[in-house]
Amino acid sequence: MKKAQLVAGLVLVGLVVLAAVVSLFWTPFDPIRVVPGERLAPPSLTHFLGTDGFGIDIFSRLLVGARTTLAVGIISVSLAAVFGVPLGMLAGQAGGWVDDVVMRTADVVYALPALLLAMLLASVFGASTTTAMIAIGVASIPAFARVARAGTLQVMAADFILAARVSGTSRWGVASRHVAPNIAPVIGVQASVGFAMAILAEAALSYLGLGTPRPNPTWGNMLRDAQNYLFVAPLQAVWPGLAIAVAVLGFNLLGDGLRDYLDPRLREVP
Amino acid sequence: MSFADRLRLPKSGLVKAIAVMLGLTLGFGLGGCTTGNPASTNPTRTLKVGATLEPASMDAWHNTAAAIPQVLLYNVYETLVKVDADGQIRPLLAQAWEVSPDRLTYSFHLNPAAKFASGAPVDAAAVVANINRMKADPKLTETLKAQLAIVTGAAVVGEREVEIKLSRPSLMWLYDMTTSVGMMLDPAFTGDVASATAGSGPYAFKAHDKGQSVTLVANNAYWGTPARFDEVVFRYYADPNAENAAMLSGDLDIVSSLQAPDALSQFSDTTRFTTINGTTNGEVVLGFNHSKKALSNLKVRQALTMAINRRELIDTVWNGQGTLIGSMAVPTDPWFEDLSGTNAYNPTQAKKLLKEAGYGDGLTLRLRVPVIPYAVKSAQFVASQLRDVGVTVKVEELDFTRWLSEVFTNGDYDLTIVGHTEPRDFPKFANPKYYWRYDSKKFQQLYQAADVTPDDAKAVAGMKASLRYLADDAAAIWLFDLPNLVITKNTITGLPANASSISFDLTSIASR
Repeated sequence: MKKAQLVAGLVLVGLVVLAAVVSLFWTPFDPIRVVPGERLAPPSLTHFLGTDGFGIDIFSRLLVGARTTLAVGIISVSLAAVFGVPLGMLAGQAGGWVDDVVMRTADVVYALPALLLAMLLASVFGASTTTAMIAIGVASIPAFARVARAGTLQVMAADFILAARVSGTSRWGVASRHVAPNIAPVIGVQASVGFAMAILAEAALSYLGLGTPRPNPTWGNMLRDAQNYLFVAPLQAVWPGLAIAVAVLGFNLLGDGLRDYLDPRLREVP
Repeated sequence: MSFADRLRLPKSGLVKAIAVMLGLTLGFGLGGCTTGNPASTNPTRTLKVGATLEPASMDAWHNTAAAIPQVLLYNVYETLVKVDADGQIRPLLAQAWEVSPDRLTYSFHLNPAAKFASGAPVDAAAVVANINRMKADPKLTETLKAQLAIVTGAAVVGEREVEIKLSRPSLMWLYDMTTSVGMMLDPAFTGDVASATAGSGPYAFKAHDKGQSVTLVANNAYWGTPARFDEVVFRYYADPNAENAAMLSGDLDIVSSLQAPDALSQFSDTTRFTTINGTTNGEVVLGFNHSKKALSNLKVRQALTMAINRRELIDTVWNGQGTLIGSMAVPTDPWFEDLSGTNAYNPTQAKKLLKEAGYGDGLTLRLRVPVIPYAVKSAQFVASQLRDVGVTVKVEELDFTRWLSEVFTNGDYDLTIVGHTEPRDFPKFANPKYYWRYDSKKFQQLYQAADVTPDDAKAVAGMKASLRYLADDAAAIWLFDLPNLVITKNTITGLPANASSISFDLTSIASR
């Protein structure tokens, strides 16, 4: 059962990755080129999912859209982890006022929704994939910091840490050799969940016109275009919606599966 | 007085209780204002109009946004003369007017009944004060400055007779006076025109709920035919689908301009809705920034024009609704001719011209558009077709306020797309300071020569020639003329088919 979750997650995520990789080498049609004569075509053998209001093959756009989705996910989660994890470890190890300062700052950032931050950045620097990545990344830092801090506190209470300190290992040594490897699994789980959140946030931003600008396809702006034809060609909104759902579900399942897989207490006794 | 103030006054418990009751009753009365006014026997007649672009303020003198005169012109501020649904000039504040034989002096005879909302008369002195105020205002918009440039002076002749002198004859000038530049402001008004109004029209500005709506109320002291509605609310929808949904659910009486033509079929129920489909003054212009090196090259501009199939663009972007124009004139203009054949779609020739201009290896241009449905959709179409001829287009979508400051005011762009909804607005190409930075001496000469021609037929021929020059010179790409797609409830009458003025003229609209 636990394994099934992990496998399902891996399969769904694999699908998204596959789509993104395939799109680098091949798409059935040009994902940007407008073909006026083929507007709003229903699904057929030539156009698997039909065409949009510009006569562009929806399947091709979905494939290319997966690229943006993954890129935003990877970059923003990396950004959040690179800043969040060390900060969380610092707070957990140092304690005292350092802990207070770091975590209260994190709380402040946490209170600021990613969307608001993205709108702010978009209005200053203009809407682009980069601003979306940065906004989502920055907004996810506190989540990573919290998880890292909790993990660090747990590890720091262990006897082997005491032993390491008694034997003269420096704080840096403790952090890098003992804490980091031990909290890596929880960070991995958080990354997977954060990835799902990043995908949703990116879709929301593109939907609002604050993410990747036209004509580059993303699932969010496909959804946005589709709403113009909701009464004429309702299927158009289904495909990008489905893609977002699959990706988010995939990363969430992967996260849950990983947690169960890595947590020895939850491991089934044979 | 607020509800809290009412509570603080009474001393005894009983009085307090009564006050609370009174307050609640009043509160309910106010809350129910949109459906019925308990103070009078007649229910409040409210008209709700859906629109797309929200005005930033109520100041039409320092802000060129068309959304301002859309609400204010003819409704709140009146002009000496107005333009009717057929594009003809009709009396408004002026009952009659004469033009001197040399066409340099216009005498306007003002309607003796005309008065501002404050009760002050719209007399010759008020008209002169308005002209002088605008002429002395250094911050006036470039458009209005250009329109006033040929006015040398205004003089009081009689209490209700005013004389305006021009430096040269102009066919266009009287038409200009039907637009924002002709709006008469109460000279006694000392407030801020951005947040209050003082006009002579049937309505007065009441409130601007930023991001939501602008509310006008009837001017009960109006000198002409009384307003048919007690309150008119312009509601603004950034998303055309939300506007359509509001119309379908009955929240709106009128969709002033359907921004999602693909949804036209939603309003096919003739027992509920009336669809009006005419022409507008709205030329959707793909503007070139002529101060950029690449775009100052005629060959590049011709190539870009030839790269875009405008018929297909209308079909794709606007569901086939709209008219091909090919220059800065619309079918209701006397000098209109379809010039879409000039620099017609020919991608092979476009590539050749780009090569000749030295951009055979490619050219990258920034297309910065405001977030308006026709603009963003056209942008995607244009980007795709220009890519086919080797031009890389970077599309940037800006909210309208930002577009106004960065693109329109500061000229920070290569290409842009926006609808020019002012009537008879091609003389803007003669203004080198306008955001296109189009400085063609040839066109300026052609236009001025036509404008001063005393003979109307010859003047129109001259205008045609100058418009042809614009098309030949590929001064811009005229994508299409926006259709006047208006949806109303069946109970609403009096809307003309063609929108000949920039104003959403409420004076002819009635509700059954």
